[in-house]
Amino acid sequence: MLNFKGEQTMIEIKNISQAYGNTQVLREVNLIIKEKRITALIGANGAGKSTLLNVAANLLEPCAGTVLLDGKDIKEMKSQDIAKRIAILKQTQHLNMRISVRDLVSFGRYPHSQGRLKDEDEQKIRQAIEYMNLKEIENKFIDELSGGQRQRAYIAMILAQDTKYIFLDEPLNNLDIKYSVEMMTILRKLVKELSKTVIIVMHDINFAAAYADDIVAMKGGQIMKEGAAQDIIDQTVLTEVFDHEFCIANVYGKKVCVYFPPEDKSAKGDAINE
Amino acid sequence: MQTLKVTKDKKVNGVTIKRISLFLIFIILTVLSLMIGADNNVTIGNLIKMDDTAGQTFIISRAPRTIAIILTASGLSIAGLIMQAISRNKFMSPSTSGTTDAAMLGVLLSYLLIGKQPHIIQVIFAFIFALCSTILFMTVLNKIKLRDAVYVPLVGMMYGAIIKAFTTAIAYHFGALQIVSIISLGTFNRFTNFNLLYIVLVPLFLSVIYATRFSIAGMGEDFSKGLGLNYKRTIFLGLCIIAVISAASFVTVGPITFVGLIIPNMVSAFYGDDVKKSIFDVAVLGAVFVLLCDIFSRLIIYPYEVAVGFTIGIVGGLIFLIILFRRIKYGKQ
Ligand SMILES: Nc1ncnc2c1ncn2[C@@H]1O[C@H](COP(=O)(O)OP(=O)(O)O)[C@@H](O)[C@H]1O
Ligand SMILES: [Mg+2]
Repeated sequence: MLNFKGEQTMIEIKNISQAYGNTQVLREVNLIIKEKRITALIGANGAGKSTLLNVAANLLEPCAGTVLLDGKDIKEMKSQDIAKRIAILKQTQHLNMRISVRDLVSFGRYPHSQGRLKDEDEQKIRQAIEYMNLKEIENKFIDELSGGQRQRAYIAMILAQDTKYIFLDEPLNNLDIKYSVEMMTILRKLVKELSKTVIIVMHDINFAAAYADDIVAMKGGQIMKEGAAQDIIDQTVLTEVFDHEFCIANVYGKKVCVYFPPEDKSAKGDAINE
Repeated sequence: MQTLKVTKDKKVNGVTIKRISLFLIFIILTVLSLMIGADNNVTIGNLIKMDDTAGQTFIISRAPRTIAIILTASGLSIAGLIMQAISRNKFMSPSTSGTTDAAMLGVLLSYLLIGKQPHIIQVIFAFIFALCSTILFMTVLNKIKLRDAVYVPLVGMMYGAIIKAFTTAIAYHFGALQIVSIISLGTFNRFTNFNLLYIVLVPLFLSVIYATRFSIAGMGEDFSKGLGLNYKRTIFLGLCIIAVISAASFVTVGPITFVGLIIPNMVSAFYGDDVKKSIFDVAVLGAVFVLLCDIFSRLIIYPYEVAVGFTIGIVGGLIFLIILFRRIKYGKQ
């Protein structure tokens, strides 16, 4: 993909391998992340999704392979410059600091301001807070918030960071259905209105099916399948990725995965043959 | 909607009022501290009249002492604040994690190795020992992962006691026990000059400039990396700041316990843990606390005085226990 200056603008993951001791976690992974889309990374626990995301964001150095960020090797870039292009929200957040929502969001400006907030930074912070509907609770401490509010505060911080790429590692964990839907709706809005590129690790295939443009399915440190969401939500593909039998149903014209085996064995046969 | 707005305005005003009143108390105590002393000659009236002896006493003994108190107190409080941020542990402080004791060991060794030397050499020895000991303690803490942060100061004080015992043993062996007993008494009245304390201004200045970095480092290594902050360098800078402050204040004033632990905890109850937000209040409250203790120490057996280290040890220890019990009672946040 080229921008108007003729530069490459995308993230290209090339031959990435990663191992801890004898266990191979990533095996020669190759992936190109398309711009202005939501790409969902799915796969069983331990498939290497978080590892891949951390390598792509330069939080983790791989044993082998390169990551090209807009055509440049990420290893040769300054971490500050990377932080201006990629924002990442890790799978687990430590809540050991009692800081207000506003302080958290203002941390997002660090790559741009180095801690001294200028007018432009204040404006970006305000916009991010308003965009995520946090105005009312901006002075609350993050440990006083509900899971959904806290997750929104972290996303606001990432918005304030004002990066083209947004990496999210299981942001729907600990969120109930209402907040999960709200979160995905916001992410769609980010792609549409602010031209962001979102890569999101998720557990619930149905959320991936409903909200992602592309799906990358991982298993055992490798990419099993990648493609448009509609093509990946397929009985044979998913059964192989998750080692579990799936049944794809059609609800309101959308594909929905059913992953519980029916209690009645004979009914199971019917469902799969459908 | 209306009520919401009102409460919010109130809150903002409340914060400003708290800040202003704290600062006023600080000014009043500073003036009081300057006016108290064995020499009755120093009064505001005499100072305005440019009375020579009053002016001399003021410049030679009163002002340096008060400045020393403010620098030590603010310095140790900020050292505690930064230590708590970078270690992600509300119960860390230079005097409850062996840092001060290591500084003492450094001073003793400098005596034994080189004999009597300028204070600056002592500070360098104290600094190196304080830094290494703090790094060691924090590394070990990260490895053993205590079940609850409440145990950290207890383990830290035990670790400090071991260093202290070691120091005493060395001193005993070389017949230098007297030196140890002199340097291990916290007091602002040693007829020494406090000039060396101005070194503390450098780490204080750096902590204000890098406040946001310490807050971000407090959010964790990956969080910092994600924002392009050099985590290891920030932690190291923080440790150096802590060690310089501890070393300089130990060599000039002696051990001042608990200040670095209780002051940041009292302030964070109001403002949370953001370093930038609370650094000013931590510095001022620390100064207020030590000024109060110092004035008390000077008045209680006037015209003699109690070593301020005792007063701070007792009052600070009580506050520390209150914080500890509240934490145990109400559990983790
Ligand atoms: N720091 C580490 N040390 C050793 N093994 C690790 C480490 N991090 C991850 N792993 C292993 O790598 C594998 C992939 O982990 P991860 O990328 O977190 O998977 P996922 O996010 O897909 O669940 C797992 O088997 C995990 O145990
Ligand atoms: Mg994971």
